[in-house]
Amino acid sequence: MLRRVSLVAAGVVIVVVAIVAFVGLFMLRQPGQLEGTTTTLHLETVAAIGQALEWPRPNDPHPDWVGYLPTTTWHVPANSTIQVQIDQEDGASGLRNPFWGKVFGTEGGNMHVTYFDDKGNPQEGDMTSIDPTTAAHTFAIPDLGVFVPLLGISDAAPPNSMNVITFSFKTKGPGVYRWQCFVPCAAGTLFGNGGPMSTIGYMGGELIVT
Amino acid sequence: MGVFRIEEADRPHMVRLLIIWVILSAIGIVAVLQINYPPYDQSIQGQDQAGTLKLLTALAMPVFIGVVMMIVYSAIYFRRTTTELIDGPPMLGNTPIQIAWVSVSAIIVLFLAVVGIATLSSENVAQLVGAPGRSIGGGQTGGGTTGEENKEIHVQVIAQQWYFTYRYQDYGGVETTHLYLPVNHPIELHVTSLDIIHSFWAYQLGVKADANPGVDNIFHVTPQKTGSFQVRCAELCGLWHGHMADSVGQVVSQSDFDTWIAQQQADFDTIAKVVPSYAPYYFPEPKLKAG
Repeated sequence: MLRRVSLVAAGVVIVVVAIVAFVGLFMLRQPGQLEGTTTTLHLETVAAIGQALEWPRPNDPHPDWVGYLPTTTWHVPANSTIQVQIDQEDGASGLRNPFWGKVFGTEGGNMHVTYFDDKGNPQEGDMTSIDPTTAAHTFAIPDLGVFVPLLGISDAAPPNSMNVITFSFKTKGPGVYRWQCFVPCAAGTLFGNGGPMSTIGYMGGELIVT
Repeated sequence: MGVFRIEEADRPHMVRLLIIWVILSAIGIVAVLQINYPPYDQSIQGQDQAGTLKLLTALAMPVFIGVVMMIVYSAIYFRRTTTELIDGPPMLGNTPIQIAWVSVSAIIVLFLAVVGIATLSSENVAQLVGAPGRSIGGGQTGGGTTGEENKEIHVQVIAQQWYFTYRYQDYGGVETTHLYLPVNHPIELHVTSLDIIHSFWAYQLGVKADANPGVDNIFHVTPQKTGSFQVRCAELCGLWHGHMADSVGQVVSQSDFDTWIAQQQADFDTIAKVVPSYAPYYFPEPKLKAG
């Protein structure tokens, strides 16, 4: 009898411990810490990727979608300074949250912009923010605290011109960091955040830090 | 009503089961009381939730062990020993046992209901003792505040695809990219969204609140331990939902908070003129078309 009782007790203990361990290990586990992440990046933003000036993709399944070019998956080294140049060819859409009109997380807290003013005259200078209504896109890597608004091309700018935005930021350790645009620039979709804003390869992608 | 009666042949089973159940239940209760339950104790509300979870687990342990024990015991003692296919003995109802388990279940449920109601209504108690912000509940009404010293700090949580930003109404409506809170100070969180439905989940603080466009969803929290906490979106909201998180949330001392918020205000000055005035919620529309 004692043997059987011991068997029952052992069986109960095993089952209870197994279930408690499962709950403890998998269900009560705290969300994991986020991995953080950062070379030279030369990018192009355009309203329709099939008509880009530098890296056009006319054979893309969505040649009329807005997007970053030539790719949205960027490989950069860890713990290093990344120099970024964005050739911005798109017009302004405006930010849903004007707060993103401010530059965050770049070295020096600013960006250098070469652009055309309202009269079509070429200008350039360092900026720490822009008028949120003039933003065409943003370059944002939230997990690195990098948020950079991209000034839309002026209506008075010559045809086939672009604003050139340059800045730099630092990467952290190895990891995969998402980046996205905070301007709801996917015209024709609900809240402007569908289509190219919700498809990797257009207005979102990954910064792969190794 | 029948008489509670145990067949002589069943008594050894009953005795064994009772002994095993009492011993394992006692061990189980002691064991689960040692667990540090989420969302831990970084806020009063989180501590309330963790305490409730601990109580529920301790109460559930005897029931859980009883069920597992019966399954294991039956598999060992009452397993079929022949390959012959025959019906088992007929099972007849046992009224006393049915009354007993229904009564015990009812008592447990009613007890938990009282505990739950007491926890949910503790906001009222907290108001009386001058410590608003204790309830784990929220709603679309403002919470009470008592006295200047314990006046709640109003922090607006603004969800957007795919990030949370924060506005501090009592500090000129300054907007920040991270959530910092002073320790031992009641906070009134106003949760809203600029686009679609999100859910603000400050894990270690024990706060999870829907973020709906056009809605000012109010929650109260009182951090009681300094340290970092994680913020995540708990409502599937699109491509980067899984990345809509921030592990830089901080509960800091009042002096550190004052220093931090002053720096945020200085930084905010560069964009303050174009950010709309603080409001319960916002209906932003892009002014121009893409392209």
